[in-house]
Amino acid sequence: MDKPKVGIYGLTGCAGDQLVILNCEDELLDLVGSLDIKSFSMAASGADDQCQLDIAFVEGTVVQPDEEKLLKDIRQRAKLLVAIGTCAVWGGVTAMKNEVDPKKFIEQVYGPAGKVFEVIPPQPLSSFVKVDLSLPGCPIEKEQLLRGVASLLHGDLPKLPNYAVCTECKMAEYPCILVEKGLPCLGPITVAGCGARCPSYGLTCNGCRGPVDDINVASEINILKEKGFTWVDIQNRLRTFAAPAPPLNLQTLEEAKNA
Amino acid sequence: MKIVKLPKEKLAEFLSCLRAFGEIHAPTKRGEKSHVFAPLKEPAGIELDYTRTILPLKKYFLPPMETMFNFQAEKGYETPAEESDKKYIIFGVHPCDIHSLKILDLVFGGKYVDGHYFSRRSKAAIIGLDCIPDEFCFCRSTGTDFVDDGFDLFLSDIEDSYLVRVGTSLGDDMVKAADTLFQEVTVQDREKYKKKSIQRGQSFQSEIQLQDLPEIMDLEYESQIWQELGEECLGCGTCSMVCPTCYCYAVFDELNLDAASGQRIRRWDSCLFKDYALVAGGHNFRAQRSSRVKNRYFHKQRGFVSQYGRPSCVGCGRCKEYCPAGVDIIEVVNKLRSETRV
Repeated sequence: MDKPKVGIYGLTGCAGDQLVILNCEDELLDLVGSLDIKSFSMAASGADDQCQLDIAFVEGTVVQPDEEKLLKDIRQRAKLLVAIGTCAVWGGVTAMKNEVDPKKFIEQVYGPAGKVFEVIPPQPLSSFVKVDLSLPGCPIEKEQLLRGVASLLHGDLPKLPNYAVCTECKMAEYPCILVEKGLPCLGPITVAGCGARCPSYGLTCNGCRGPVDDINVASEINILKEKGFTWVDIQNRLRTFAAPAPPLNLQTLEEAKNA
Repeated sequence: MKIVKLPKEKLAEFLSCLRAFGEIHAPTKRGEKSHVFAPLKEPAGIELDYTRTILPLKKYFLPPMETMFNFQAEKGYETPAEESDKKYIIFGVHPCDIHSLKILDLVFGGKYVDGHYFSRRSKAAIIGLDCIPDEFCFCRSTGTDFVDDGFDLFLSDIEDSYLVRVGTSLGDDMVKAADTLFQEVTVQDREKYKKKSIQRGQSFQSEIQLQDLPEIMDLEYESQIWQELGEECLGCGTCSMVCPTCYCYAVFDELNLDAASGQRIRRWDSCLFKDYALVAGGHNFRAQRSSRVKNRYFHKQRGFVSQYGRPSCVGCGRCKEYCPAGVDIIEVVNKLRSETRV
């Protein structure tokens, strides 16, 4: 069997997800042994950015028209497109304030110099192209990436958890941050896969992996309100990593608050 | 039943004698308020006045995640090397948790015996310990506040000593191995025990009426209560994970990068998860959260009764204490009853 041709790309983001790939130290030789990596600018020069791909891994958010063009080009060349990281899957932190016109931010940050580049409201990949597999996380989990690649090598999509961080938190028997400490943990509405990493250190889940399917955001808001958190704090908390996700848009949240 | 007495100051010594019978696991502290069963390193680390552990004993016999077998394209499959014949002693188990093991034994020991479960179960000795209920406990109502069997030894606190009931021949061996530590039970000890039992009985703050609940649930199948509960429930799965008798699991394959081998895994599942009743073609028997919550109650309090003659709830209070949304099984049952009975 020919090795699948693979491209690994980064749009706007911190490049942390590509770094996770390089951090698979023990498995790196198996990984490059099983894939024919055509493009991975973070790791190697001499990329072939014209060839047809079996799998494209794309990190980051689309924030410029050039990135939209690049993404569409990658999509056209790739049989499968995998979004890696919460930015690519949900928009991530760059998309948390999309209700404000980006021109305002550019002016504030760059002054007149900002006029040289064009920006659009930051969006996840799925706003522009079909995404075949989404691996969320800020950054992605190494285990999920490796399992995902293994499944794709078998010609199948991996089975990712479709339940909340609470489930993994309880499996590992960590004391509940929400019930025991009264802190604003987003474990009940955030998709699992990290092994409840933050609660394992006694910290709240900040929702970096994005929402689990079928979340009950109204109930989460209710719990946080009862614990005395303000509506502004709750909204900001809920919308840090996945603001473009439908259950977290401002109008939905407003309705959920009043339900 | 043979009953002997162990003075409390001899407990540490008894624990060190027990090490000859296996690795001791006992309640220890985790975080500020929680407890877990964990390997006991020093006798001083034991927390005998705990009320409940986050996870019940099922974690030992049906681990949250386990490899059932490894497979390879050429060679077929092989079972993973188990931790040989390592024996365990689980010390300080409360009556509700012992009852839950009896329930799991029934379920996994049915027509198709679950070898994975019993290979571990048969290596564990159970040493019970009585307890004082807190506001979440309702084991008196479920008839699981006392055990007649299901333990090797069972310790009851009578101020300065424990009365030790010997439940099995293994338990008897344990007592004999530490013969000099035990004393005979006196008339005064019996009086103390009776007094303590009455005190314990009077300290329950929660109760639930489960009798005739299956019929009530059938009558309330379409009740608005399920809708309301679906709005409250986060579907986070916490109650299933911490429930001592929730035993559902999902089975799936994980593949290795060589594209030729992998592992078959089983992992705890919950009927509260959206994918639980998802079948081929994208059809979902319980797409609504309300129907999933209803299913969980129906299985515990109605389906299980039809199949095994008793509800599978043992009144441990974990679901109530750990639910982030504060869903309270007692309130739910009371609401259901109030619709039907005065």
